Amino acid sequence: MVYGVLRMINFANSEIFMVGTFATIIIIRDLFKFTQVSEYATGFRLWLILGTALIFAMLVSGILSMLVEMVAYRRLRRMNSGVLAPLISAIGVSMVLSESVRILTDSRPVASPRAMEKKFLGQFFDAGIRIDNTIIVISALVLFAILITFVNKTRMGKAIRAVSMNPNAARLMGINIDGVISATFLVGGLMTGAAGFFYTLKYENTTAFIGFELGIAAFTAAILGGIGNIKGAFYGGLALGLLETYASFFLGTQWKAVTVFIVLVLVLYTRPNGLFGEALTQTRA
Amino acid sequence: MINLRDKGAEIWENQGRVGRIVIAVGAIAIVAALPFIGGTFLNTPIADYESVLVYPIAMFVLMAIGLNIVIGKSGLLDLGYVAFFAIGAYTMGLLGTKTGLNTWEILPIGIAMAMFSGIILGVPALKLRGDYLAIITLGFGEIVRIVALNLGALGRSEGIQGIPTPPGFFGIEYAFDSHRIYYWTLLILILLAIWMVRRLSARRAGRAWESIRQDEDAAELLGVPTFKYKVWAFVLGASVGGAAGVLYASKTLFIAPDNFTLQISILILACVVFGGMGNIWGVILGAVILGYLPDRIRFLSEARLLVFGLVLVIMMNLRPDGILPRKKREKAIVKKDAS
Amino acid sequence: MSKSLIELKNVTMKFGGVTALSDVTFDVKEKEILGLIGPNGAGKTTVFNVITGVYQITSGEIIFDGQSLAGVRRYKITKRGVARTFQNIRLWGDMTALENVMTAADTHKKSGLVSGLFGFPISRREEKRDKARAQELLDFIGIGEYSDRLAKNLPYGVQRRLEIARAMGAEPKLLLLDEPAAGFNPAEKVELAATIRKIRDAGYTVLLIEHDMSLVMKVSDRVVVLDFGQKIADDSPRKVQDDPRVIEAYLGVPEDAS
Repeated sequence: MVYGVLRMINFANSEIFMVGTFATIIIIRDLFKFTQVSEYATGFRLWLILGTALIFAMLVSGILSMLVEMVAYRRLRRMNSGVLAPLISAIGVSMVLSESVRILTDSRPVASPRAMEKKFLGQFFDAGIRIDNTIIVISALVLFAILITFVNKTRMGKAIRAVSMNPNAARLMGINIDGVISATFLVGGLMTGAAGFFYTLKYENTTAFIGFELGIAAFTAAILGGIGNIKGAFYGGLALGLLETYASFFLGTQWKAVTVFIVLVLVLYTRPNGLFGEALTQTRA
Repeated sequence: MINLRDKGAEIWENQGRVGRIVIAVGAIAIVAALPFIGGTFLNTPIADYESVLVYPIAMFVLMAIGLNIVIGKSGLLDLGYVAFFAIGAYTMGLLGTKTGLNTWEILPIGIAMAMFSGIILGVPALKLRGDYLAIITLGFGEIVRIVALNLGALGRSEGIQGIPTPPGFFGIEYAFDSHRIYYWTLLILILLAIWMVRRLSARRAGRAWESIRQDEDAAELLGVPTFKYKVWAFVLGASVGGAAGVLYASKTLFIAPDNFTLQISILILACVVFGGMGNIWGVILGAVILGYLPDRIRFLSEARLLVFGLVLVIMMNLRPDGILPRKKREKAIVKKDAS
Repeated sequence: MSKSLIELKNVTMKFGGVTALSDVTFDVKEKEILGLIGPNGAGKTTVFNVITGVYQITSGEIIFDGQSLAGVRRYKITKRGVARTFQNIRLWGDMTALENVMTAADTHKKSGLVSGLFGFPISRREEKRDKARAQELLDFIGIGEYSDRLAKNLPYGVQRRLEIARAMGAEPKLLLLDEPAAGFNPAEKVELAATIRKIRDAGYTVLLIEHDMSLVMKVSDRVVVLDFGQKIADDSPRKVQDDPRVIEAYLGVPEDAS
């Protein structure tokens, strides 16, 4: 989304994800004083814990994302400083965020207590269905649907699309560009925070570095699918997940990244737009 | 500080041929004498002054000059520069331990390997636009590290030990702790790099890079073979990185994948950004400051990356030209009968 | 009957659902000044873009100097002898005026990076020669005194002329001028007209897009009119001025409507 509006990849986004994971843990572990030894939460209490954690993670990430825009990118946008400057600034932000957390956690992983019992619900062909995976998938789809509705049907959503297509026209039509961009970052941050929540729920663990690790995967997925295009991001993510799994299976996990990279380069070489997206190559005169 | 660049340029331009030679020789002499000037006062917690001059300072300076060609002059964001450094180092490591070649013989091979990988990376990557180029290059840097981490032939996580030091000549010995000798060797490489960059900047290559940086589409329409020159920028930048890598391996005697992380790419980037993109003296100055200070000041050393991140954000927002900006400031010319 | 320097034959340019150019055929004769006019959105800049290789045409042919331009890389097209200016000035602001022109002149150099680095005689010779030539061009256009000034600091009129000098630096046979008079006052336009004629007299062929009718009519030998991507007239300036279809395209009503 941020890319569509600003034509810039928000490098810092992966760190916002990382912050989202920590935010989730803070809620589950500290707010609800949930520890491993107690029994699993059930029923209403469970939904309360999960719901609060999700909302908190989303809010923290969303607001952080907005702040980052105001501090690190807004000025550059005003100064019309070209393509390179915001990227470098983003890298800087990325470093600041990940290093701050690293120092706070002393470079060690932080565990999340398991709030819910991860029951098996049944079988689907060969794969077992666990309840946490199910919740994640369904919630993700719901959020996705909400996002699409927001972008297509609400006033702000339309404003965002307008700005992404033609900022000057949008400004002349009375749209507050700064406001729209802040909103874009906010919404992007909210979604990223949700992703952080899902991740923590499933893996029960996080470090200061996962932003980077997963960020590369996220960008790769986005590029594979074609940037600038939500549908593409979706399929790209799917394709990447499959690719990684098969690569790990056939070659061993340590070669996963290399394989993905090589495939990425090949895809870009033959189909520079990714599978669905707009041109990643040079723009026209 | 603001007028330092203008002042320096003024003085230089007002000299005749002889004056310039005098200044140049004098400057080189002073820099060469640095190992003698510092006292223990300038030591850092981990290593003493002379060692620091070699690494990180001189190494960073060399690499910053290389990266400056890519980012500063041509406007291509390369986040995986450490890859070329690593390739040079591992070439030295492998050939140094497995064959009978010495450092000086391996140096051109290491440089060639780095340049070759610059082509391999550049040809697909340089068709992409700015942000995607950045990611691909970052990926490349990581891939090189991962490959080094997982290939048995490269020693996996233990890396390569027992890399030979360069053979001496004329009675000069390259012992492991003879930092001064290494420093002066690096100084020679740095001078070569400076010569190369300045030479090219004044000719067709420099103009091509500048036009690509400022408006690539217009450049192509006015006859600049943009792709070719972008690849050249990559290759030349890689050659410098590779040279630094070879010497690095030859000095530290053992290398491991942990020496070649993304951190280093970011560090060199920070040197270029902080010092002044496009301005070779600026990046040298930036590399000296950012190479030295974090090691010197205890607190900074712990949070080094954090500081560099802040440097990037602050510099980009407040002073994107760096401490020594690209060109002389000029007053705009106003027409007398401005309409 | 002079030779055609460039011919567009049945050129159609489609972008997805939009047809920017439809079956356009015309040519530009050597040493001619051809004016290309039409209402906004008629496809004039698209013509420039397909000639210079920014877009590959959907169908048709473009023959320049006897050779097809299909699939030729942009910088190679420039090398063959086509150079352009831009409607919205696209100079390299951080370079001096002289450097801007020299960069264009680099197109035809035989020496490249390696010979420049090692200072081969051919490189030094070409450098010297092109530097003198660049200064010559700046003088020719009347902005010689600005040669050492950064392009971004130049006054608007000087920048516009620098755009032209830069395009000329590429030693083109065909010079494409995209609204060179935009933002000029009448006196400057008169000067520009004289300059364009001077350029033609020096041996260049000029294809000119302009909105200022009087300038186009005064300077052009021939005028081609586009409307909605189609050619609707191709004649001498006087005849085009009186052509009812042209008038309708611009004003929207036929001359004798009542």
